[in-house]
Amino acid sequence: MTTALTVPRVATATEPPRRRNRVALSWVATHAVGIALGLMFLLPFVFIVLTAFMSTNQALTAELWPRSWHPGNFAEVFRKAPLFTYLGNSLLYAGLATLFMLMSSVPAAYALSRFDFRWRNGLFLAVIAMMVLPPQVTQVPIYLMWAKLGLTGTLWPLILPNLLGDAFSIFLLRQFLLTIPEDYADAARIDGCGEWAVMTRIVLPMAKPALAATAMFLFFVSWNDYYGPLLYTSENAAHWTVSLGLAQFRTNHAVQWNLTMAATVLMMLPVIVLFFFAQKAFVQGVTLTGVKG
Amino acid sequence: MSGHGAAVAPPVGATRRGPFPRRATRSTGEQQRRFVLLLLTPALLGMLVFFVYPLVATVFFSFTRFDLVSAPQWIGLRNYRYFLHEDPSVWQSVRNTLWLTAVMVPSRIVFGLVCAGIVTSVKRGAGVLRTLFYLPALAPPVAATVAFVFLFNPATGPVNQVLSWVGIDGPLWFNDPSWAKPGLAVLGLWTVGDVMIIFAAALLDVPRDQYEAASLDGANAWQRFRYVTVPNIAPVLFFAVITGVIAMLKYFTEAVVAAQVASGRANHGEGTATTLGYPSGSTLTFAQWLYQEGFTNFYLGYTSALSVIMFAVAVGFIAVLLLRSRAFVHGGAA
Amino acid sequence: MTLRSTRRAVSGLAGLAAFALLTAGCSNGSDSSDQAAALPSGPATGTVEFWHFFTDREAKAFQSVVDDFQASHPDIKVVVKAGQDDTKATQAISAGKGPDLDLSYSTDITGKFCSSGAFRDLSGYLKRDKVDLGQLPQTVKDYTEYQGKRCAMPLLSDTYGLYYNKTLLAEAGYTAPPKTMTELAEMAKKLTKRNPDGSIKVAGFVPSNGFYENAPAHYAPSYGAKWLNSDGSSAIGSDPAWRSLLQWEKDLTDWYGADKLAKFTAGAGQEFSADNDFETGRIAMAMDGEYRTAFIASEHPELKYGTAPFPTADDKTDLYGAGYVTGNIIGISKGAKNPNAAWELLKYLTTDTGALVKLGNGIKNIPTTLPALHSPDLTVDANYKTFVDVFADPHSDTTPASPNGGQYQNTFQDFVIKWQNGKVPDLSAGLAEVDQQINAAFKLGQAP
Repeated sequence: MTTALTVPRVATATEPPRRRNRVALSWVATHAVGIALGLMFLLPFVFIVLTAFMSTNQALTAELWPRSWHPGNFAEVFRKAPLFTYLGNSLLYAGLATLFMLMSSVPAAYALSRFDFRWRNGLFLAVIAMMVLPPQVTQVPIYLMWAKLGLTGTLWPLILPNLLGDAFSIFLLRQFLLTIPEDYADAARIDGCGEWAVMTRIVLPMAKPALAATAMFLFFVSWNDYYGPLLYTSENAAHWTVSLGLAQFRTNHAVQWNLTMAATVLMMLPVIVLFFFAQKAFVQGVTLTGVKG
Repeated sequence: MSGHGAAVAPPVGATRRGPFPRRATRSTGEQQRRFVLLLLTPALLGMLVFFVYPLVATVFFSFTRFDLVSAPQWIGLRNYRYFLHEDPSVWQSVRNTLWLTAVMVPSRIVFGLVCAGIVTSVKRGAGVLRTLFYLPALAPPVAATVAFVFLFNPATGPVNQVLSWVGIDGPLWFNDPSWAKPGLAVLGLWTVGDVMIIFAAALLDVPRDQYEAASLDGANAWQRFRYVTVPNIAPVLFFAVITGVIAMLKYFTEAVVAAQVASGRANHGEGTATTLGYPSGSTLTFAQWLYQEGFTNFYLGYTSALSVIMFAVAVGFIAVLLLRSRAFVHGGAA
Repeated sequence: MTLRSTRRAVSGLAGLAAFALLTAGCSNGSDSSDQAAALPSGPATGTVEFWHFFTDREAKAFQSVVDDFQASHPDIKVVVKAGQDDTKATQAISAGKGPDLDLSYSTDITGKFCSSGAFRDLSGYLKRDKVDLGQLPQTVKDYTEYQGKRCAMPLLSDTYGLYYNKTLLAEAGYTAPPKTMTELAEMAKKLTKRNPDGSIKVAGFVPSNGFYENAPAHYAPSYGAKWLNSDGSSAIGSDPAWRSLLQWEKDLTDWYGADKLAKFTAGAGQEFSADNDFETGRIAMAMDGEYRTAFIASEHPELKYGTAPFPTADDKTDLYGAGYVTGNIIGISKGAKNPNAAWELLKYLTTDTGALVKLGNGIKNIPTTLPALHSPDLTVDANYKTFVDVFADPHSDTTPASPNGGQYQNTFQDFVIKWQNGKVPDLSAGLAEVDQQINAAFKLGQAP
């Protein structure tokens, strides 16, 4: 994998020892900082996992190490909460939302980044402005609208709007697409490609990491979305997502924080695994397309 | 401009429409205009339904007295006058929100860039490191904040214990009005993964030959960063700034949970109102106050007025930014 | 923008505004006034949707009572949805998708729901079925009606009193709990233990507002302090009882040292964990509710503790035995599809002695009718009895209903915290300002 901030330099035997040491030192420094940061990032998770193994009375006390180990907590979470239902619903919501977003937002981002037209800046400002209002505010009229359409109690009010674009994704994609030079597209146009072909066969394939990053973003944001499912599905437990199920679990077992942490761990595992594999693919996508230039 | 790779052959099956004159600017033949409109249609519809409609409704409600269960009644500017003169908590929430925005946006961007740099320059274990850095951003915010605040407990948490080993008497963190917001800022750094990921993607997109060319010209590491890296990732930087500011204006969950845990009510479902902004209102953000007035105190008209004010201020700020940073808007490598 | 397109845009916006108005208006349905006149026709049968906020073990107790109801009312089917809070209920009711019956956690919404008609007027049903409201103590009657309109019934209650650690008291030579605030302060000082560096090791009594269950509302009945005048305006600045309470709290805070107290409370255990400072003996005396007895029994059965009514102001010893009372309320929502059947369930839950005793024992909250309170089936031990008595005491009080959900309590508590931290130079001026803020907030929500 290529470096970004510095061009990698491998110390060769013919180089004077001083320079070799300097390169080796920066390698060690980078890795050491990386490892230290990684450990610090990990620490709160260690707390969560340790609490998941504690007894009810010990959870949320000041003690950090379990006095006794209760792996049965995890089994109890399975018994008390329909985890697979939650997982299925979260997957449906996040998956469909991401798919719909790509269908609607990629064209919009492309239009906003690669063409110059009169309303471009105003429209761009409007896209950004869409993200400003807190959801609690826009939700009052929108909830009433969905109630009249009879779709409250389901996840559709959360999924369907993505068919009409997602402001955050449009913004992100637009910024990424700006960095792709126009030369290839121009060359293709000269060769007679129509605009649609230019977009789908020239530019977008070059933007694979951007597409992957944006898709991942929306996927995980939808996965962790708590407020949306709370508003639209809380009265219908069959449609609860993981985030809502976890919050409900927390309310239901307010005193059993060990179970809540166990539930958190269980509900995070699929996402962690998904991310680990997804980010590998997204990096591979970069090296396969060979970058630009 | 970037170097040229091999010439691109037209894809198989492309129809021949005759030579297209190459234009210096990308403006618009009739065909291109229709194409653009087609691309934009779903987003335009979405904007109308999910943005213009609620915005107009909110503006309307801001001039009414509305408690959600009775019909709204017109009261003119009363809500706005209350905001300016009589609301005892709103100005503190404004100050808190501005502080958090001014501190957390730059710190997260810088830290995110550093982490992205590390992650793109280590060879072995990059995948693991990337996952580790992103993990906190993946965690449900409530559980993550609870864990974080517990670790920072001044009497029993490991952070102050470690500080005492090096002779520092740790502050009361989330229990001290002067340290609660810095504590939230550290929490923000811990969850920097989402910013880091897009910076990593942007860094990977920088053409390698530009670095080589710069090296050949004798540029050192800092100059390479300033003159090659930054212009190429400028659009993504701009995105991070804008979305960071917007997210901080709406900052809600972490502040609420931190106040709950610090005041001893981590697992009491109700009673959030009594911990609002703990300690001493120092963690009260604008979004929290907006929510409290609207949904706990039933002043939806007033909440709408607060939203309109926040919207106007934010959009004004963003519009100014847009006008003054052409490089970020139109891309560095255009 | 061309003239034509401008006009189109403007008419488009006007259309949107109209739509917004329409949808907002459409959400409200009939006016509340015509409900009081006639009861809905039709038999009391069918499906009733019942929302409550209880959890796990407590939800099970509720379910068993609901099952009893269904056994005796085979024509009515009850669908229970647990974990619904007030915000959700408000939104659902306004969108016309509310439940038939809603149980709310606190009394704060009474004012709003009664005045706006979100909960139906129950007077017709009460009269028809000759329900005796005398079986409810005055306090719970007060927090289930607003400005003469009764739109809710009380269902289970919390009462507050003093918890004291018998071991720690005995060590300092005390055998009885304090009965006045002066005694409380004296004993608190004697019971406090310090570390060599001056920081607090064991606190006799923590006076910090906002900590655990310390809130002005909980102390008010012991001082006879009044929140609102009869015209609905704030009485805080004019009632000398508040000043007396605030002075007591500040004096004790100053004795401890405000920053030492802050450090102590920062290291306190979570209120609802086994780490609770009173349960671990880190605090000798505390203000808390009747539910604490259940926590102690499950987490620290070895703790030797006693309970008593909270001490009163020195000049108001006739109030001894009183305490703060709050509770849950239950009502029939405006858009209920089956109000008659819902009423049957409501009546059962709130007035049937057997049901109330079962709920009281299962959830360890106080049942809200006097017959249930005095029922021999109610499990009451010596410590729990204090709270049962507080509930029935005629001087016990609650926080008055208001149209903005209890915001006045938060405004005042914010002020008291500032005062305790020494940030208020002039108490009288500060209290007058609190009055102004509370009155301004009330006006904000008033009809034009």
